[in-house]
Parts: sequence; structure tokens; C-alpha cells
Amino acid sequence: MCRLIASDIEMRFGERQLFTAEHLCFSQNDVIYLSGDNGSGKTTLMKLLAGLLRPTRGAIVAEGFAKASWWRKDSLLGKALYLHQHPYLFEGNVSYNLQLVQRYSRLSEAEQRQRMTSAIELAKLDNLLKANASTLSGGERQRLALARVWLLKPSLLMLDEPISNMDQVSQQLVCQMIGELKHQHTGLLISSHQDSELIQLCNERWQIKSQRITTTQLYSGTQAELNRHHVAAD
Amino acid sequence: MTEGWLALIQQAFGLLFSLDPEVWSIISVSFSVSFAALLITLVPSLIIGFILAFSHFRGHWIAINLVQTLQSVPTVVIGLLVYLLLTRNGAFGDLHWLFTQKGMIVGQMMICAPVLVAMSHAAFTSVDRRAWETCRTLGASWLGAVWVICRELRVPLLMAVIAAFSRIVTEVGCSMMVGGNIAEVTRNIPTAIALETSKGDFAQAIALGLVLLILSLILNFMLGALRGAAQPRSH
Repeated sequence: MCRLIASDIEMRFGERQLFTAEHLCFSQNDVIYLSGDNGSGKTTLMKLLAGLLRPTRGAIVAEGFAKASWWRKDSLLGKALYLHQHPYLFEGNVSYNLQLVQRYSRLSEAEQRQRMTSAIELAKLDNLLKANASTLSGGERQRLALARVWLLKPSLLMLDEPISNMDQVSQQLVCQMIGELKHQHTGLLISSHQDSELIQLCNERWQIKSQRITTTQLYSGTQAELNRHHVAAD
Repeated sequence: MTEGWLALIQQAFGLLFSLDPEVWSIISVSFSVSFAALLITLVPSLIIGFILAFSHFRGHWIAINLVQTLQSVPTVVIGLLVYLLLTRNGAFGDLHWLFTQKGMIVGQMMICAPVLVAMSHAAFTSVDRRAWETCRTLGASWLGAVWVICRELRVPLLMAVIAAFSRIVTEVGCSMMVGGNIAEVTRNIPTAIALETSKGDFAQAIALGLVLLILSLILNFMLGALRGAAQPRSH
């Protein structure tokens, strides 16, 4: 099973301490809800786990992943995928954005074709394939970004506010895709400000409060029960 | 007066379309030297521009300012420097490159490198950080990510290439000093225009000037087409 283990990490920007955490484990099958106030370091934590930033102190270790090719540095990059709150789309049409990502896939050709078909279908991108990525709406951009990630069949995926500022239809489509990823045993770390059906998918909560990251096990229940649980945890 | 001008322009077109060997030899020298200088300088300059944009080292600020200053150094000064290096008693006198196309290429490399480095540095610093992060998190190698970023920045990078090429293909000072304006060997378009004008042979000077004008139009149309294809970003 693929997992990331962060031990005794601290993140600082100059004199300012953002957060510390003694032990965090992010594994396949985990669906974690990451909460914290604005500026508490949710995005920074995700970037640390994605290998895009390095912690000031401590270490993050990857276990269970295929060994990288001998010419590539065996870093965290490409292990837990990180999806920006406002995803970056490459210049070109929707089809180009999907095909570009396929180059980085380690799946067989047959599986790649199958993932492409299902990504287009799930994200409802059939009619947008020839559209320039820069002309897409916020919801369509997020769907395309999620479809790109879907193509890679990630073991671990981190989603930064995936349904913020999105219309109802796009929200439903994104939630459906995330649900499918959970069904495929992808480990998910989701940050969200909104109480949404996404939180119902989660079985664990990481909270950044007073510069510390605490973890709590969640239970499956209704949204109202879950909200009560969060209030109690706060 | 107008008739005289028309006759000159007619003669100029005549020289171009009759494939006058002297005119076409000058054009050939000009393009081969400038293309060679550009090709040799291009990749190292882009790499330096990338490093200056994405890394911070001791003297980083000085390096950027030095490159920007070098852009505006007059070509005759660069010509003088290359002349002193390549002259018989100079540091590289043993190469015997003075008054050869190789010497001209060295001079033009020194002219276009700062333009390429400064403009590519400006392009790379303008790139959205998310582009790099997206490439890397999706599993692109370092080199693969650089390739995607260069594709994203193709318009400003092509502008850098065109600006550098325009600067070297039209410069007189360095080519005159290092090349020596030797017919069919080191005589290029700008040095030939200067010579023919001083001799009063305006037809050939106009013919060569037209080549530069057409080249400039082609390059600008290409850039315009590329700019038109690139859509402005909403994020």
C-alpha cells in the first residue's frame, strides 16, 4: 500500500512558524478532510506532501511506490498529486491538456485509452475537447484538471478547495469524480471551507489550529451528524 | 527626381530577381554568419536565462544587471574587443580568425547573447509558478517540465530570438572591424550597404536594404501570427 509518513515536521517562513506536526500518515484508502483558517498553512502542507516544498525541519518518507528510474532523483514529486485551488491549464485546447498528461502515465496503453474515455465521460468534456483551455469557466477548468489527474490513476491525491466558487452542476460532477477515485482506493486529502457532500466521504480529519496539526478519526454519518461532530472536535 | 528614384528601385529589383551573383553572395554571407551565431548562442543563453530566473546565488542581482547593460554596448566596442582578441598579438591570435567568417560569428555571438539572456530571463520570470508545480506534480521530469514551460512561453521566447537575430543581421560596426568587408568572403548586407552608398552605387544598396526590409516584414508577420494564436489567460 502506498503511503506518505511525515515525522516531526515544522514549517517556517523566515521568523514565522506556520505549523508543526508530530506524526502524519496519508495512505491509500484514506479520505482526509483538512481544515484550518485562512493562512493556517493548508496549501503549504499539501505542497510539502507533494514534494513541491521542503519542511524546515523533519522528514517526509514515501513507502510502497514503484522505484523511480535510475536517472531520476527519488523525490516525493509525482507520488502524491496536488491539485491547485485554481488549476493551471496549459496553453492549447482541452484535448492537448489531456494528451500532455498521458505522456507521464505509467499505465499500459490499453488502460490509458480506457482512462481517457472514462475521464472525458465523467468530467462531461465531450463537447469541449476542441475548446481552448483559456476560455473555460471555473467549473469546467476544475473538471478538466481533475480529468487530467484521473488519467494517471493516482495512489494519493490532494485537492485544494476543489469545489469552491463552482456552480451546482460542476460541483456534482467533481464530487462524483472524487467519489469514483475513493472507490478506486485512491487516498484523498481534501481541504474545504464549505460544508459539502465531500466531507461525508472523509474518514479522518486533520486540523491546523494554533500552529499545530491534530488528527481525528471521523465516522460515516449524515451531514448534520458530521457537522455536530466537527463542532464538538473544535 | 521621382524618375531617378523609380529607376534606382527598378535596378535594385533587377539585381535581386536576375540573381546577380555579387548581391546573392553578400546575402548568403550575411545569413550564414548570423544564423550560425544565433544557433550556437541560443541554447546556452536560454539555459542562463532560466537559471537567472529560477535560482538565487551570490551575485545574482549583479549578474542580471550586467547582462542588461551588455545589451546596450555599441557593436563597434564589441568589434574592437573581438579584434584585439583575434589580432596576431591577441589572446586568440593563433586561431587566425581575424577577417574570416568565424571571427564575424564570434563577434555576433557576443552581440546576440546578452539580448537572448535578458529577454529569456524576463520571459521565464513572468511564468506562472503553478505551471512548474503542475508539471512536476503530474510526474514530469525536470527537463520535461522545462520543455513544457518553454512551450508555454513560446511567444516571448520567439520574440527574444527575433530581436537577437535582427540585432546581428543589421549590425555594421563589429562585422566591418572583425570581418574587414572582403568581397565574397566577409562582406555582408550592412557592410555592403555602407560601402556601396559611399561609392554612390545606390541600386545595390537599395537591393540589399530591400532584403532586410522583407526579412523584417516576414519575421514580424510570423510573430503576429503566433501572438494571434495565443489566447490571453483568464487565470
